[in-house]
Amino acid sequence: MSVNHFWTAFAFEPFMNALLIGLSVASVWLIAALGLAIVYGTMGVINMAHGEFVMLGAYSAFVLETVVGVPFLLCVPAAFVIVGLIGAAIERGLVRHLYKRPLDTLLATWGLSLVLIQGVRLILGPEPKNLQSPAWLNASLRVWVFELSWFRVFIFGVTIAAFVLTWWLLHRTRLGLMVRAVMQNKEMAAVHGIDAGKVFTLTFAYGAGLAGLAGSMFGAIKNVFPDMGSGYIVEAFLVVVVGGVGSLLGSLFSSIGLGEIYSVFAYFTNGTFAKFWLFLLVVIFLRFRPQGLFADAMARR
Amino acid sequence: MRSNLYHNTTAQWIVYVVFFALMAFVPIVIDDTFTTNLFARFLVLGMLALSVSLVWGFGGILSLGQGIAFGLAAYGMGMTMQMQSQDPESSPIPSFMLTNELTKLPLLWEPFWHTPTGIVLALLVPTVFFLIFGAMMFQARVAGVFVAIVTLAMLSAWYSMAFDMQPYTAGFNGISPPSPLKLGEHIVDPYSNEAYWIALGMLTLATLGLKLLLQSKFGLIVQAVREDPERARFLGYSVSGYQIAVFTVSGFVAALAGVLWVMIVQYVSPTSLEVTFSVSMVIWAAVGGRMSLLGAILGAFFVNGIQSYLGDEMLYGFLLVLGGLFILIVRFLPSGLAGLLESLLERLVRRPADQRGQ
Repeated sequence: MSVNHFWTAFAFEPFMNALLIGLSVASVWLIAALGLAIVYGTMGVINMAHGEFVMLGAYSAFVLETVVGVPFLLCVPAAFVIVGLIGAAIERGLVRHLYKRPLDTLLATWGLSLVLIQGVRLILGPEPKNLQSPAWLNASLRVWVFELSWFRVFIFGVTIAAFVLTWWLLHRTRLGLMVRAVMQNKEMAAVHGIDAGKVFTLTFAYGAGLAGLAGSMFGAIKNVFPDMGSGYIVEAFLVVVVGGVGSLLGSLFSSIGLGEIYSVFAYFTNGTFAKFWLFLLVVIFLRFRPQGLFADAMARR
Repeated sequence: MRSNLYHNTTAQWIVYVVFFALMAFVPIVIDDTFTTNLFARFLVLGMLALSVSLVWGFGGILSLGQGIAFGLAAYGMGMTMQMQSQDPESSPIPSFMLTNELTKLPLLWEPFWHTPTGIVLALLVPTVFFLIFGAMMFQARVAGVFVAIVTLAMLSAWYSMAFDMQPYTAGFNGISPPSPLKLGEHIVDPYSNEAYWIALGMLTLATLGLKLLLQSKFGLIVQAVREDPERARFLGYSVSGYQIAVFTVSGFVAALAGVLWVMIVQYVSPTSLEVTFSVSMVIWAAVGGRMSLLGAILGAFFVNGIQSYLGDEMLYGFLLVLGGLFILIVRFLPSGLAGLLESLLERLVRRPADQRGQ
C-alpha cells in the first residue's frame, strides 16, 4: 500500500458493485455464523473450533471430489453430513462435560481447534489444495451495472436456503419446539419429558454441519488449507454478538450490516483498514447495546 | 486442626522469594549466551502468563487481548530502538520507510527520537488503552464470554492495522532495530547476563507487587467480584471499577513484557498481535494454574521449554500435543498444576485428621 493512493474516489458503477460485494460478503459471514449462532443460542457454548469445522467441510469436499470422484454439487450436502457427524461425536466426547463452565468450553474448543488444524496438517499435508467447481459456476453474471460471479450467486442462494430451512426447523417443527423449550429453560423442558442431552447433541451436530456446508463452498472460492477456518471465526462471532444471542433474524441483519460497512470502507480505503474500523465499530456498538440488535428474542435461562 | 500448607501465606512468600533468588543464578550456571537469551525470553513469556493469571485467574475476566498491550508496547520499544540508530542529519528516517515512498518521518514516530520518552510511551499508551477499553466494556456490564469475543475482535483489529500500515510499521516484515538498546552510553547486550537479570528483576518486582496487591483488601474484593459480581454489587462495591482496575494493571504488566521482549530479541513484527499468541498465553496460565501467580509463570516456562526443546521440525506435532494437553487440563484439571499441588497438600493434612475423627 502506498500512502499517496490511499483513498479511492467515489464513482457510481464501482460503488454500486461495492454494495453488491457487501451483500456477498454478508452471505459468506452469515453462513459461517449460522451454526455458531444456533449452538451459542441454544447451549450457551462458544465453539472456538467452529472455524475448524469449516475447514473440515472443505477437506471432506476435497477428499470426496478428488479421491472418490463425487461431483462438486453433491460434495456440498455431503460435507454437511460428514461434519455434522464429527460434531455429534465431539459433543458427546467433550463439550457435554463442560456445560456448566462456559469459559472452559471456549478454551477446550480452542484446544480442539489446535488439534484439528495440526491433525489435518500432519495427515493431509500443509500445502493448499484445490477444490474444483463446475466451469459454469466460475463464469460472471452481468445485470445493469452489477457484475458478480455465478459462484457468489450460488453461495448467496445456499445461504438463504440454509437460513430459511433453519428458521423453519426451529419455528415450524416439533423438534424446533423442543430446541426452543430447552433454550428457554432446560430444567422445565426436562420436566416435560424432553431429553435435553439429545437436543444438545442434535443442535451441535446441526451447527457443525452448517459450518461444513460453508467450508465446502469457501474451499472452492479460495483454497483448502489447514488453518483456513481462522479467517472466518472472528467475523462469525461478531455477526452472532451484534445480532443478539439466540436471534436468527438478528444474525441476518447484523451480517448484512457488517458486510456492507466492511465493503464500503474497503471500497474507499482497503480491506485490512476496513476490517480495523469494522472491529472498532463493533466494540463501540457493544458498549451501547451489549445485548445486540435483537435483544433476547428467546431469552436464555 | 492443621490447615493446608498451600494456603499458608508465609510459606507462599518463602517459596516465591526462594524461587526468584534461585533463578538469579541460572545464567551463572549455564554459561552459554544463547541459552541465557532463551531463558530471558522465557522470563518475559512468564510475565505474560502472570498478567493472564491476574486478569483471568483472580479477576475472572477471560481476556484474549493481552497481546494488544504486549504488541503495542513492543512496537513502541521497537520504534525507540530503531530511532537510536537514526541520525537527524545523515539518516533521518528508517530505510523501510524510504522503500514505502515516505520522504519525512511520520509524526507518530517523532517522540521516539528521545529514548526515555519512547520507553515511557511504550508503557503508557497500552496501559491507557486498556483503561479506556476496560471502561468501555465493564461499564456496559459486558461479561463472561462476551469479554473474550470483544477483546478478540480488538486484537484482530490491531493486528490488521500493524500488518497493513506498512509505511509506519514495516508491515509483515516487522521492525528489526540494527543495534541493541542503548541507555545513555551503556549498551544492553541482549545475549548478556545483564539482560537476563533485568528481565528477572522486572518479573520479580511485578510478581511480588501483584502478590501484595492481591493479598490486600483490594485483592480480596477483586476475587469477590470474580465469584459473584451481583452479590459484590449489592454489598456496595463498584464492580466495574474493580474490573477496570484489574484489567488496566494486567495491561501494564503485559506492556512491560512487550518492552522487555524487544530489548531481548531486538525485533518486533505483527506476530506479537496474532490471535494464536494471545490464546497461547491463556494456555500457559491454565497449564500452570491460573489461580496462582507463580503457577502461571511456571506454566509458561514449562510449555515454552518443551516447545524449544522439541525444536522447529517437531512444531506441528508439538501443537497437536499442546492442544490435546489443553483439552485434558480444562476437562480434568481446571486449576492447572498448581491446583494439583493444592489437592496433594490437602490430602497430606486431611488423612491424619480423618484418622483422629474415627
